[in-house]
Amino acid sequence: MAKRILLVDDSASVRTVAGIALRGAGYEVVEASNGQEGLAQLNGERIHLIISDVNMPVLDGIGFLKEVKKHPSYKFTPVIMLTTEAGEDKKQEGRAAGAKAWITKPFQPAVMLDAVSKLVMA
Amino acid sequence: MNGSQDAPADGIFGLLPIWSRHIETSRKQTEDAIVALTARFSGIVQRIDTALNTSGTGAQQTDAHAEAQRSRQDLALVVDALKAIQLSRNELVEQIRTLSAYTAELQKMATEVDQIGFRTNILSLNAAIEAAHAGESGKGFAVVATEVRSLSNAARDTGKQITRKVGLINDALSAIGRTNEEVAARDDQTVRASDERIRAVIARFEDSTEMLAAAARRSHEESGAIKAEICESLVQLQFQDRVGQILAQVTASMNDLSAQTAHTTTEEADQAAREHADRMLSTYTTQEQKLNHQGIETTEVEQSAVTFF
Repeated sequence: MAKRILLVDDSASVRTVAGIALRGAGYEVVEASNGQEGLAQLNGERIHLIISDVNMPVLDGIGFLKEVKKHPSYKFTPVIMLTTEAGEDKKQEGRAAGAKAWITKPFQPAVMLDAVSKLVMA
Repeated sequence: MNGSQDAPADGIFGLLPIWSRHIETSRKQTEDAIVALTARFSGIVQRIDTALNTSGTGAQQTDAHAEAQRSRQDLALVVDALKAIQLSRNELVEQIRTLSAYTAELQKMATEVDQIGFRTNILSLNAAIEAAHAGESGKGFAVVATEVRSLSNAARDTGKQITRKVGLINDALSAIGRTNEEVAARDDQTVRASDERIRAVIARFEDSTEMLAAAARRSHEESGAIKAEICESLVQLQFQDRVGQILAQVTASMNDLSAQTAHTTTEEADQAAREHADRMLSTYTTQEQKLNHQGIETTEVEQSAVTFF
């Protein structure tokens, strides 16, 4: 059974690139265009990993990450932040909120897939 | 700016909303175009994937090779069947040839019958002479001698007839042997020609399937390369996300500054601009925004840096 990944990014082009790479590697992908939509996807369905942008409208990536870590069913789901933010302060904010990895955009799909394969839940 | 303390800051600050709208329009148009382009590229990638999955090469090549192998085996069976027919006829001819040996014996037996007839004839002749010497009392014996002579002649005729018939059988067997040799030579030639034709047909079939398979392989490789190129182009299109964020920050900042400087004097506006510049630092999302702010030129963008926590 394919592992399920929740991909949260407000940029349709980024969702497309990441989606093609993930689906091509055999993952099932659920998409959301901001943190709030991402939370709506945490509806009991098993999610093996979350990839989230940081700067998004409505609910940003860090806010979304904090909510995920409070969720009884998803608090142990690994989260990768995929963002244009490369500042150390922001990275540490992500780490403190519970992110497992930080990938800066623009990203090479192979690099993202490598990180996903290392972190995806068994 | 006229530098007057009471002058309203309409000058350059008044242009901010106009520039902001231009930038926002450009940002939106670029974003729309890139999103549409990404969707089209993505569609092309999916169609290539579908084509690659349905055309598949490995399995079809294996099928073609297996089919050629099966045809080769089936046709080899036909040739084997022809050879078996040839072999069984040769066995039949061999059996007929053994009959020739019996005919030689028959010939000998027929000659012996003739010899027995000849000697019996001589014997009957002597018996007739002895009967004559016996006079009246040998008359009965003379009749017997005559009958024996007649029988011996009949035996000799039969011997000769057997010899003639055996000769005819021998001729017929020789003719069968010759005909069989001719037929066998023709059959041998036919089987060899069939074998060669079958091999040629199989070779042509294999050549054709190999050519088709090679063409399919090339097509498969080309499609894969095109897909990789398009995927790489999609990766490049990520610039929209980065540029979009920079431009969104610029327009938000312009609108913010425009609101702050509305209905203020030039001096107040200058002060507001300085304070605004400091606040801008906290709204940057990319490294190049921070470097640009400091007046450091940026060209290279670091890609795919991964940090595991």
